Amino acid sequence: MEFPISMIIVRRVKPLPYWIVPVLALVVGLLISMIILYAMSGGVITPYDVLVSIYYGFTNVGLLAKTFALLIIVGIGLLVSFKGAIWNIGGEGQFYMGVMLAAWVALFSGFAFNGFIAKTTMILMAVLAGGFWALLAALPRAYLNIDEVPVTLMMNYIAYYIVDYITKSEWREKQYGFRKTPRIPETTMFQVIDGTTLTLELLILMIVIFVAVWLLFKYTSLGLRIKVLSSNPNLLRSSGISVQLTVVTALLLSGMIIGIAGAAYLGSVSHNINYPVEEYTPGYGYTGILVAWLSMLELIAVPIAAYIIGALHTAGISIQIMGAGGAAVVNIFIGSILLTYAVLITISEYKIKIIIKKR
Amino acid sequence: MIDAFISLLAGMSSVFLAYYLAALGHAIVEKSGVLNLAIDGIFALSVAVAYAEAVYTNNNILASLLLTAIVAALFGMLLAFLVTKFPISHGATGLSMMFLGYGLASLVGLPARNLQGSIRGLEIGYTIDVYNPVWIAVYVAIVLIGLGALFLINKTKIGAAIRAAGEDPAAAEALGVNVLMVRLFAGALGFALIGLGGAIFELAYVQVWSEGTGMGHGWLAFAISLSAGRHPLLLILSSSVFAGLVKYMTTIQAMYNISTELAKMLPFIAAILAMVIFMATPLRRRLAPPKSLGKIYFREERTV
Repeated sequence: MEFPISMIIVRRVKPLPYWIVPVLALVVGLLISMIILYAMSGGVITPYDVLVSIYYGFTNVGLLAKTFALLIIVGIGLLVSFKGAIWNIGGEGQFYMGVMLAAWVALFSGFAFNGFIAKTTMILMAVLAGGFWALLAALPRAYLNIDEVPVTLMMNYIAYYIVDYITKSEWREKQYGFRKTPRIPETTMFQVIDGTTLTLELLILMIVIFVAVWLLFKYTSLGLRIKVLSSNPNLLRSSGISVQLTVVTALLLSGMIIGIAGAAYLGSVSHNINYPVEEYTPGYGYTGILVAWLSMLELIAVPIAAYIIGALHTAGISIQIMGAGGAAVVNIFIGSILLTYAVLITISEYKIKIIIKKR
Repeated sequence: MIDAFISLLAGMSSVFLAYYLAALGHAIVEKSGVLNLAIDGIFALSVAVAYAEAVYTNNNILASLLLTAIVAALFGMLLAFLVTKFPISHGATGLSMMFLGYGLASLVGLPARNLQGSIRGLEIGYTIDVYNPVWIAVYVAIVLIGLGALFLINKTKIGAAIRAAGEDPAAAEALGVNVLMVRLFAGALGFALIGLGGAIFELAYVQVWSEGTGMGHGWLAFAISLSAGRHPLLLILSSSVFAGLVKYMTTIQAMYNISTELAKMLPFIAAILAMVIFMATPLRRRLAPPKSLGKIYFREERTV
């Protein structure tokens, strides 16, 4: 078949500055979602409403703070594996394994008498849980070369159902018999910073993780190995470093960091687990992917990306309050921005030429 | 005993067909080398489109099936086009289409549900059970579709082209296969099947709609497809097992005291185990994933 119009994609001599694409993707993606929302809601959601909600989302810093901090942690966690071209789509599962183990510490371990010990144990157990969940996908990826994308993805659902099971049976609150766990004791709740939705521990965790991962990629050989893993695994092999071990470490670290986000979410935001968890989840494991991608895998840009995504999240919820669309309006934002971004990332290194053939 | 078994088979026929079609569609898309992470979003969207069209046309099942298949096929072609024409990540494209599908699903479904609520006595759907002999036709159809798909993939020219595009698109292109066209075809056909699966899931099984209906079932079809190594006939086996599990979950739970959560996670565990087995044993010759599945294929690598 011969089309009169054809499209040729050629490599640029000099790539565009790296910030152009995310900014352009945001603008174009938002335009697309405005059109979709306007057309599909039969004119109920006007572009003006969308702009007002977005303004509200970006300026309502207090409301945004917790989402912002949690998205940074999850985004950094994913970034660690993405840097090594290991596509960890299993953030949700690692997050909820962290939530589950942290809840166990808070509710049943007997450490709750002392806030400091309990919170430290919660975080440590969440690290182990998230790491373990990532390890289950990392080992087949490293040693059998089984694609980590479907495996990590399906493990999200296995994690959901494990948490569901334990929430509605063993850990179910006895007082009213609702399908949820009891609230975690006061001593184990993270300490809210006045006037925000942020907690002190969450803030500290965020900063510590940010600095630690910055150091990892700046100064350690492990960080370098993970970076080389994505660009040239053969180089690793020829210099006598185990590719398998690097893959496992990257995914393990990724899961451990995301597990921490789970503990912080339990301690700062939810305070208990509701059944069914796949409906109550804030979905940070998935939106975190967007944060990591939008940051162009630059650690410094992760907070910016997390701020933007967090603001859009808040904006989506405020559109939902207007009555049209429901919870999935957020998904329209996320979907169209991410799709635009995925396509536009081409133009930073390639030129797209449309050629009209003359008959 | 026989009667009970027959009513069991009849009762699960609609779910069976829905999962089988969606899983087969997924298999065809991935055979062509396109990693399909959009499946759950498009499945949820198909459920909503089928529901809305049935409400708007006063329960016209054929119109509903047709429209859903077309909508889903368009998304399939978009996915195939983007990942073949541009050097972009299959995962990123698929996941963003998943989010878009979720969002569109609620935009499509909510007005239709409000309309249905305002019309007294408007019920949608087509029930297939033991009193409706169509269930026998469903089983015959599944076997015929399975054989047809096997023939298409293994014996025809287009099937060979699809497999070639999945194994090594660059070599296929060199041998004269138009990889873009082949993937567009596989994307359209595969996603039309996924759309039909979603429509049948809604019209013949759920028959009501609320926000989130169908979400997660696309991933179930994904797991069913992977656990059978994307083989059209093995898929019949895996989708019947998991369709039975879904349909009779409450009964199984009551009879054998197995929790619903365990039953729900079984397909995913089975899929992961199957992937390990297919890669680690000689079965990999037939059932391993296509070599270039999810790999960026970019033809126009030239510098100006």
